[in-house]
Amino acid sequence: MNIPRAIPASLVLALLALLVLAPMAGLLQLSALPGFEAADLRIWENAYLRRVVGFSLWQALLSTLLSVLPAILVARAFALQPGLPLRRMLLGLFALPLVVPAVVAVMAVVSVYGSDGWLPLGRKLYGLNGILLAHVFFNLPLAVRLLLPQWHAIPQSHWLLAEQLGMNHWQRFRFVEWPQLREALPGVLLLVFMLCLTSFAVVLTLGGGPRSTTLEVAIYQSLRFDFDPAKAVVLALLQLALCMLVAIFTLKLQRMPEVEIAAATPWAGKSKAAQWFNLALILAATLYVGMPLLSLLIDALRGPLLRVMFDTGLWLAFGNTLLIGISAAVLAASAGWFLLAYSAELAQRGHSAAARLVDLAASSVYVVPPLVIATGMFVLLSPRVDVFDWVYPVVISINALMGLPFVIRCLGPAMRQNHARYHRLCLSLDLRGWNRFRHLDWPLLRRPLGLAIALVAALAMGDLGVIALFGSTRSATLALLIYQQLGAYLVAQATVTALLLLALCLGVFVLLEHLIGGSADAAA
Amino acid sequence: MLRLEGVEFSYPSAPESTMHFDLQVDDGEVLGLIGPSGSGKSTLLHLVAGFLRASAGRIVVDEQDLQNLPVAARPVSIVFQQHNLFPHLDLYTNVALGVDPSLRLAPAQVDAVRAALARLGLESLQHRKPGELSGGQRQRVALARALVRRRKILLLDEAFAALGPALRAELIELVRELVQEQQMAALLVSHQPGDALIASARCAFICDGRVAALADTAQLLAGSEPPQLRAYLGSQ
Repeated sequence: MNIPRAIPASLVLALLALLVLAPMAGLLQLSALPGFEAADLRIWENAYLRRVVGFSLWQALLSTLLSVLPAILVARAFALQPGLPLRRMLLGLFALPLVVPAVVAVMAVVSVYGSDGWLPLGRKLYGLNGILLAHVFFNLPLAVRLLLPQWHAIPQSHWLLAEQLGMNHWQRFRFVEWPQLREALPGVLLLVFMLCLTSFAVVLTLGGGPRSTTLEVAIYQSLRFDFDPAKAVVLALLQLALCMLVAIFTLKLQRMPEVEIAAATPWAGKSKAAQWFNLALILAATLYVGMPLLSLLIDALRGPLLRVMFDTGLWLAFGNTLLIGISAAVLAASAGWFLLAYSAELAQRGHSAAARLVDLAASSVYVVPPLVIATGMFVLLSPRVDVFDWVYPVVISINALMGLPFVIRCLGPAMRQNHARYHRLCLSLDLRGWNRFRHLDWPLLRRPLGLAIALVAALAMGDLGVIALFGSTRSATLALLIYQQLGAYLVAQATVTALLLLALCLGVFVLLEHLIGGSADAAA
Repeated sequence: MLRLEGVEFSYPSAPESTMHFDLQVDDGEVLGLIGPSGSGKSTLLHLVAGFLRASAGRIVVDEQDLQNLPVAARPVSIVFQQHNLFPHLDLYTNVALGVDPSLRLAPAQVDAVRAALARLGLESLQHRKPGELSGGQRQRVALARALVRRRKILLLDEAFAALGPALRAELIELVRELVQEQQMAALLVSHQPGDALIASARCAFICDGRVAALADTAQLLAGSEPPQLRAYLGSQ
């Protein structure tokens, strides 16, 4: 047994268990909480709980359908137009929502569809409509990026055969494209459903009223406004049960596509009408994703830039955002590295079930939503300490936990491949420890590592879930500051702050990816 | 000299199928190993290299039992079919890693690396990366590294399987020369019986985890025993 690899991995696994299970223990102390009544558990008799659960599921279902169904058409349009000018740039735009903080996306949506926006919806924006618009803004591009590789995976010979057999568009879709798409579609639907079910910032800012509250937001309101931890715990347990149900379905499917754009070029359509249709789809989707960001930029530049910039609270929040983002990213990357190194070794030694278990443990946050963990911690810590003094360790560790699945997905395949290809060679050359790291692991893994760290940092910097529970004026991040400004009806200031947060997230993302990942040909 | 005495091994997934090897390879000799897929050829090489641990028996090189030695301490160099080179390092560095993984090379060691590259006809390519080379050139680099390591045993695990017949023959000839020069004992696993004919005077036919036949290569390939060999060669 390779002790040096097993020890740090075991430590990380123990910390993970503590971080997930201790809050669960907090939640299970339900009956000891002030204000608890046994009737709280009879969910079906509680109209409020029924409404919250119903709305959570309904908005998630609608968001999923409105995101994924158009995404199929848009991904297909991209796939069938391999020579489209600016295709790369457009696909780059579709990657943006992955790093745009939810609260910034909300501001961007408001700037287009708000009462002073380009397409004003007035008061109709707030509630289900706004939630759906924002969720589609996030998830349509994600679904496009998840589905597009399916078209690239179709063998060239299938396209040629379809053409030779004279299949029309529908027949080609049915016999060539659909069988490939069917493989990935359930996974994508469930992933988007899960993201919408656990969406917090969007519902908090665009919904939140009694008719449009989800479980996540209701948990927050119970803890921060109603001071009713018993209700929060019941809601958290409900949310946990729903997420576990979705996770079980996802596990049953066993297949989740990778977020990547394959280099292979599929068959390009020849019909002019079909080409125009595809171009129209791409244009519509591009406008849907690009317009809010452009509108936010224009609104922010026309806003009270100087007044916001000279506010000391802004720079304090800026510092907090950076601290939390970078710390969470480093923590998640280190934990992910140790776990992956160990799981790659287990897989190499033929213990593939154990290797898979290590990877699954790292993705436990898929099953236990961060806000549920945060609620458990809140309930656990609040009788003993001032929870607001614990903001940094709690927010950093939960954000690191949220980032861990991204590290596993970005770094895992490369690390497993490295191990499978070179482990024996390294053994025979006595290449280990520092020498192995500098000659093999760093040069070959720095690109996915850079991407993982950049992604986790951007996500943690934009998080509004955990910081909303534990944050105070002193420890506010930019995301929380935007929410506070919106709460005080300082929309113009919030727009400027949103632009700053967006710039910070993109800047840190590009900088970290470039600094750690190196140039594109570094690993060639 | 390499000697395998009653070496036994079984995979955890098939504990009932125990492989058993007895074999001897002299200094300066290349012994060809042929046999069907899954017969145990690569397993035999991995036991010698130390990637797998035998459950019984001895693997002896110059009267030293290798069984308790870690992989890097064994007097063994191995060349795989692919992924022998690190793609981000140039040829010089790939070969130099064989001398000292920290790359802190004494002037004499630097000279040895350059000499090995020159010996394999790669001197002018030493600053190129593996991706810029042909398949045959990449395997030459792997051989150059084996050369500078100066280990007694050379293992070739289908090292030339991906190459065309002419290039394969050329590299096998080169291996013969190097083995003679450095008085190594080499085991060459190949799916092509013709490779064994070029490489080695003696050849072993591995079947069901055993040395089913060991003889002069030409005689073995022309003979009629054992029946599994006939089936493998596809002859009547």
